[in-house]
Amino acid sequence: MTTAITFHAFAGADFWIGVGVLAATYGIFSLGLQLNVGTTGITNFGQAGFMAIGAYTMGILVVKDGWSWWWAMPAAIAASMVAAILVGLPSLRLRADYFAITTLAFSEIVRYLTDNTRSLTNGSQGLLGYSGGWVTLSVRFGGWLNDHGVHVTNFLFPLLLVSWALLIALALLVAAVVRTPWGRVLRAIREDEDAARALGKNTLAYKLQSLALSAALAAIAGFVLALNLTLLVPDEFDPVFTIFGFVIVILGGLGSYFGVLVGSVVLMTLLEGTRYVELPLAADKVAAIRFIIVGAVLILLMAFRPQGIFGKKQEMLLGE
Amino acid sequence: MSASPPDTTRDERSGAEQLPVPLLLVGAAMAVAAVVLAVVEGPHDLAQATINGLVSGAYFALGAAGLTLVYGVLKLVNFAHGEFLTFGAYMAIVGRSAFGFPLALALPFAFVTTALLALAIEMVMWRPMRRKGAGVMQLLLMALGLAFVIRNVIQLIAGTDVRQLGANVTSSVTFHGLHIGRTELWVVILAFAVLVALATMLSRTRLGMHIRALSDNPELAATTGLDTDRIIVYTWVLAGGLAGLAGVVYGASIGVITPNLGFGIVLSIFAAVIVGGIGDPYGALAGGILIGLVQEWSTLVVPVNLKVAVGFGAMILVLILRPQGIFGHARSAG
Amino acid sequence: MSDAILEVERVEKRFGGVRAVDGASFGIERGSITALIGPNGAGKSTLFDIVSGFERAGGGAIRLDGRSIYHLPAYAIARRGLVRTFQLTKTLNVMTVLDNMLLAAPGHPGERLGGWLVRPFAARRREREARTHALELLETFDLSGHAGEYAGTLSGGQRKLLELARALMLSPRLVLLDEPLAGVNLTLGRRLLEHIEEMRTRDGTTVLFVEHDMEVVMNHSDRVIVMAQGRVIAEGSAQEVRKNETVVEAYLGKVVVG
Repeated sequence: MTTAITFHAFAGADFWIGVGVLAATYGIFSLGLQLNVGTTGITNFGQAGFMAIGAYTMGILVVKDGWSWWWAMPAAIAASMVAAILVGLPSLRLRADYFAITTLAFSEIVRYLTDNTRSLTNGSQGLLGYSGGWVTLSVRFGGWLNDHGVHVTNFLFPLLLVSWALLIALALLVAAVVRTPWGRVLRAIREDEDAARALGKNTLAYKLQSLALSAALAAIAGFVLALNLTLLVPDEFDPVFTIFGFVIVILGGLGSYFGVLVGSVVLMTLLEGTRYVELPLAADKVAAIRFIIVGAVLILLMAFRPQGIFGKKQEMLLGE
Repeated sequence: MSASPPDTTRDERSGAEQLPVPLLLVGAAMAVAAVVLAVVEGPHDLAQATINGLVSGAYFALGAAGLTLVYGVLKLVNFAHGEFLTFGAYMAIVGRSAFGFPLALALPFAFVTTALLALAIEMVMWRPMRRKGAGVMQLLLMALGLAFVIRNVIQLIAGTDVRQLGANVTSSVTFHGLHIGRTELWVVILAFAVLVALATMLSRTRLGMHIRALSDNPELAATTGLDTDRIIVYTWVLAGGLAGLAGVVYGASIGVITPNLGFGIVLSIFAAVIVGGIGDPYGALAGGILIGLVQEWSTLVVPVNLKVAVGFGAMILVLILRPQGIFGHARSAG
Repeated sequence: MSDAILEVERVEKRFGGVRAVDGASFGIERGSITALIGPNGAGKSTLFDIVSGFERAGGGAIRLDGRSIYHLPAYAIARRGLVRTFQLTKTLNVMTVLDNMLLAAPGHPGERLGGWLVRPFAARRREREARTHALELLETFDLSGHAGEYAGTLSGGQRKLLELARALMLSPRLVLLDEPLAGVNLTLGRRLLEHIEEMRTRDGTTVLFVEHDMEVVMNHSDRVIVMAQGRVIAEGSAQEVRKNETVVEAYLGKVVVG
């Protein structure tokens, strides 16, 4: 018996376009986590739940209520932000690990609800039919590109371009906001919340704002995910994706928004790449290997380079 | 002037030796809920749900006991705890299939092997990180990574096929029209016995006193010359063993064992620990039973699939109203 | 008391079975430098935490400038003009010395979400003002050379100075200093005390500090408040308090219980 590990999947443009869209999706998703964990110091384990609220609200409004896609998106972002405030108000005063548990429980409650309210969400059968507006746009964009010499046949290509434009714009925006005096208060909260309170800062309000903005980013990521998959199922909002987000944030470096982009590309390449590597093992075992790698990366990073690729070691040392 | 000064040393008594007001309040609230449910849904359904709740409560409590012990001594919420349950269940399977152990022998086998796993992880990962002065978030994320690794290594070796422990999941004991599975009955008895043994160990033995001292007042414990590293080792051994047991017991009750076994139940175990009061073993028992009852009673009014979510809702409510839980001290949260 | 800036009346606080503060009452005169002393476990730190809003009292009344601050959140009390420092210095070590100072500037439109965008002129102007004020204060405290360095690279004593300078950015009326001289060498300690006196003479700031060093208490405070077992057992000038029998007993030994 010959064992063969083949990598030929990496050669195709389709693979990289797929990875690219996923990297953009989880990049936007992780921008929010970076704002929460890297800048404000709050351990938000509920990001997948906010993403679910964003994606499903958009989907339900379009499919069940006949809204235009353009109106459904801001409404979905608003819904996510409201959820963030409702979750954060009672729980942000808890210590880090309790807040993590609460947000994780919230995320699971959202998933359970999406799985069990068939009439609204179609549960695990999947919600579809919301992407009509995007598909029209996408086809037109594709045609325009074609007319200008870009001959890419993959139908995801427009989404790739749009999502990356979004990711870069949002990363620049968030990084800029963090450099304002508002961001300075967040960074103070991360290092020592009591010091900020003693200086007259209403830290609960700041933490709520951070959480709400993160939820908005999660909702936007949810839109990209929804358009990529064209079908929404509860399993896509499992807490494991929040953990992926944490890996991205830490890989790229706590506090670095540029790092989120890099971390996202690295992780998605790793995850998707290992999906196509042909190993002489059953599918579920290959999947297990992928996750073992992710878990090991997380452990090794936290043990040996907690500041990640672009984080500043000084900040890790001085901070604790 | 003969006024006696108030005791300026911290009140060291554990929560259960003075019946706390919160426990009585919660008990009263549950009693009221029980009456309402009995009236609306009928006493028979309520009684059956209560039995089911006590069964789940048993394995929640067993799972929670280990988690709360580790937290008390290390102030670490071990997000990988659920995977110890999974490991224990699979070890029981190995014991039965590879060594031909009967279930009764598979239980201590699971206890021992999971305890060893916990010990190994302490030596290889937790202790070096503590020496390095790792922060809360670092440890939290490492625990998450560890959970991933353990769960998926099990999946790598054993695959995702559903396995069984061969315990009797069909026959049940009935009286007055109420059922409890024979296995489930054993589960409740076993869990109860183990938890009583644990409580006794904690209050009567030297190790138990050391563990409680380290939990309640780490600074004081260090200055009185306690070998904290050894106590931590024993705590991990206990916690791992208890979790392994819980995994076997849970797997036997639901009859379905997959690599996701522990992860599926870990949040309910967290809920039990939080509701009962983190760091307090009595809290684990009370919390486990409470969450079990809340989940099963909720099936009388909401779809069955949502009962776990209701359990989470109860936990969130407790975190909002009284983050230290029933038996906890005010300083331990928030 | 003629002009009390802070009034504390029968404040109580229990932790589990322990009464950390057991009916403490005192007043702090405006413009004075008052020392709060007492043996370990007397409740001084808890009282500090309660007055500054970091702990909730279980009973009593607290008034700042005649207005109740009882159960007000810590940040609101700071905004009302009562600023505190901490026993374990809370400088933000991962930020620069200057950023530590700028952070403290009150009433900054740029600190509101979107403020930098919506009110750009007001925000930038406030930032410039804050910068000027910060550099002045840093100059006074001899720290201006370190403005661009991470606060974590300063020595322990320098960080205490920074924490004090930072507190002054809020132009407080009353400053609570929790063991300002703990772990500080003699020279720096003397400088700190000079700054404290200057605060009073130059700005009319009232100071209340917790201290264990009796020499400092005797020579640098107008009034002394003594706490033991959660209560105020004596008040007065340093001389008066030193001769008070109850105070001596509290420090030297507990009352024998029958």
